[in-house]
Amino acid sequence: MQHLIPLLTTLLPVLYALSVAGYARAYADESSSGGRWGAHALRAAILAHVLYLSARGVTEGHLPLASVYDFLSATALALAVAYVYVEMRQGVRTTGIFVLPLVLLMQIVATAYGSRVPAGGPPLFPMWFELHTLAAVLGYGAIFVSAVYGILFLLLYGDIKGNRLSFFFRRMPPLETLGRMNVSAASAGLVLLALAILMGIGWGRLAGVPLAKDPKTWLTIGAWLVIGFAVLAYHRLGWRGPRAVYASLAGFTTLLLSRVVTDLFVRSFHTFR
Amino acid sequence: MSETIAPALELFCVGLNHETSPLDVRDALVLSDEEVGRAIQALRERAGASEALVISTCNRTEVYARGATLGDPHAFVAKLLSEIKGMDLTGPAGSYLYTYREPDSVRHLFRVACGLDSQVLGEPQITGQVKDSLSLAARMGGSGPVIERLLDAALRCAKRARTETGIGRGPVSSAYAAVGLATKVLGSLTDKRVLLIGAGEMAALSASHLAEAGVTQFMIANRGRERAERLASRIGARVISLEAIPVALPGADIVVSATGSPANLVLEPAVRNAMKIRRNRPLLMVDLGVPRDIDPLASKLPNVFLHDLDALGGLVAQSLAQRLAEVPKVEAIVDQELARFLRWHRSLAVKPTVTAFRSHFDRVAREELERHRGRFRPEDQRALDALVHGIVQKLLHRPTTRLTRADEDDTRGIARIDAIRDLFGIDSDDDADRDPR
Repeated sequence: MQHLIPLLTTLLPVLYALSVAGYARAYADESSSGGRWGAHALRAAILAHVLYLSARGVTEGHLPLASVYDFLSATALALAVAYVYVEMRQGVRTTGIFVLPLVLLMQIVATAYGSRVPAGGPPLFPMWFELHTLAAVLGYGAIFVSAVYGILFLLLYGDIKGNRLSFFFRRMPPLETLGRMNVSAASAGLVLLALAILMGIGWGRLAGVPLAKDPKTWLTIGAWLVIGFAVLAYHRLGWRGPRAVYASLAGFTTLLLSRVVTDLFVRSFHTFR
Repeated sequence: MSETIAPALELFCVGLNHETSPLDVRDALVLSDEEVGRAIQALRERAGASEALVISTCNRTEVYARGATLGDPHAFVAKLLSEIKGMDLTGPAGSYLYTYREPDSVRHLFRVACGLDSQVLGEPQITGQVKDSLSLAARMGGSGPVIERLLDAALRCAKRARTETGIGRGPVSSAYAAVGLATKVLGSLTDKRVLLIGAGEMAALSASHLAEAGVTQFMIANRGRERAERLASRIGARVISLEAIPVALPGADIVVSATGSPANLVLEPAVRNAMKIRRNRPLLMVDLGVPRDIDPLASKLPNVFLHDLDALGGLVAQSLAQRLAEVPKVEAIVDQELARFLRWHRSLAVKPTVTAFRSHFDRVAREELERHRGRFRPEDQRALDALVHGIVQKLLHRPTTRLTRADEDDTRGIARIDAIRDLFGIDSDDDADRDPR
């Protein structure tokens, strides 16, 4: 499988770029077939990405998540998967253009710089570690997609309230659908982050890592609680509209802060070097 | 010898529409099914039309006829409509009528089917009305192969216009814009409840658009009970008094108000209270009243989307501008379909041309054989007949095979038919090709 890696490394940004072009066309002109071929290109990109990670996993003997560029590439895949999940659930293609350019950017950076970093060795108890990382990356992707839909919701809400019934208004799905997209992505993120936390705790115990002293662990648990509250408020308390969206955005912000704080201000074994 | 070899389409259209005539004239000339039947019968019997079709809606009455032996179709149709509807169109009122001959008559029908000739640009109902007119013509004995093919082409043209362009996109009336807004805010409307305030024309129109979008639960609040009951019976609604609005408000997801009330009928405190009871679920309020029926302060409340006529007017103007921008694309589709239809029609000339071509050669051979028959012994004449017949058949085989390949999309084939008829003078000595059927 090793010979596939260079080909897939080049192919991935191309396929993601094609998806972005397709979804951009779908946004610009609803009647065009851009959405259809954008969706095909995206699914092909996801397939190629999974193949790429598998090929590297087989070659290196563990999941390729050792460097910041590996993490970036995996996050790009997670974002694409989370987006496709929401698109399939809601049947809306005009919002892809708000998610996929970031996926493309992440993959371009990962492709451009990833090869310069030497592959790391396998971690202790690789299965627990890899499942933890995989769940965390997918969870981050889902929460990010949820945040994008939350922001789109707020923009459309403001446009409708303010009678600005412009191009953006025409291209967006119903406000109610955007609200559901926001919460369904957040729900998926909640489950995946819960798995990531549990796997992380399991791995920490086996590897003897002092998790209780790691700020990243506590910040992630904090973010999980905020997102959990947002999802609960939507389903159980009947929260709708900006209030529900702000709650889920608060969860995303906490998660983002946990990443920034960990990488920039405190010492944590979660930090990528 | 005629310029064109194809049988003449001989299709005219005489009619009037919203651009050429006032509403009262159009109203007076709407034909019932029975009257359409009378018109078709008159066109066939008195004008010699082989096929006829009538499109009659609130915005147009148009008569299409094919193969009529008329010098002045305009005068004939004016007289016919005058006889049927009792309105004199033979005098100055005749100027309301326009006349098109082929290919403009075909182009006009295609433009009508696409909604390019409609009062509301791109409106979809006309396509259904054109389709209905064909069924009616078939029932009344007016349709034939060419009209049927023509209507097929018109409907295909309309379908392409809808799917390949944005001619039908966006709301073009305030009532319809209200439905578009409701869908944009609330998504599917099938489980949503609507409170209509007022029971006039605008409220009724909004109700019918909402019902088309899937709404089944209506309440009507109106000052006059009787009028509200009439509308309620049409849409299956519950009637309440104006005083009961604050009580009904929490149960509604959409409020459409269209009354002539001089004061606000829905005040901000009532909306605030309703939102509390609804646990802040979104509420769309559409105020079509002049002056406004709903307190504008209600728009400040979270999750309350209040829109008045000005806002909806902007949406309508936007849609119309977008539709106008799509017109050149639709015109291009009309041109393509027109060319396709005319090619098909010209291809009808193939069969009669082949027959006439063969007859021409057979006749020449027969005449020459007769002329020289005395120069041959009787026992040789049979062999000579067979020889000449064989030569003619061999000579004709290739050209006739090539001719019969001329289908509707084969322009080269059509050119061959033209050449054959021209070279052999077929139009001057054989009328077999004149009837495309």
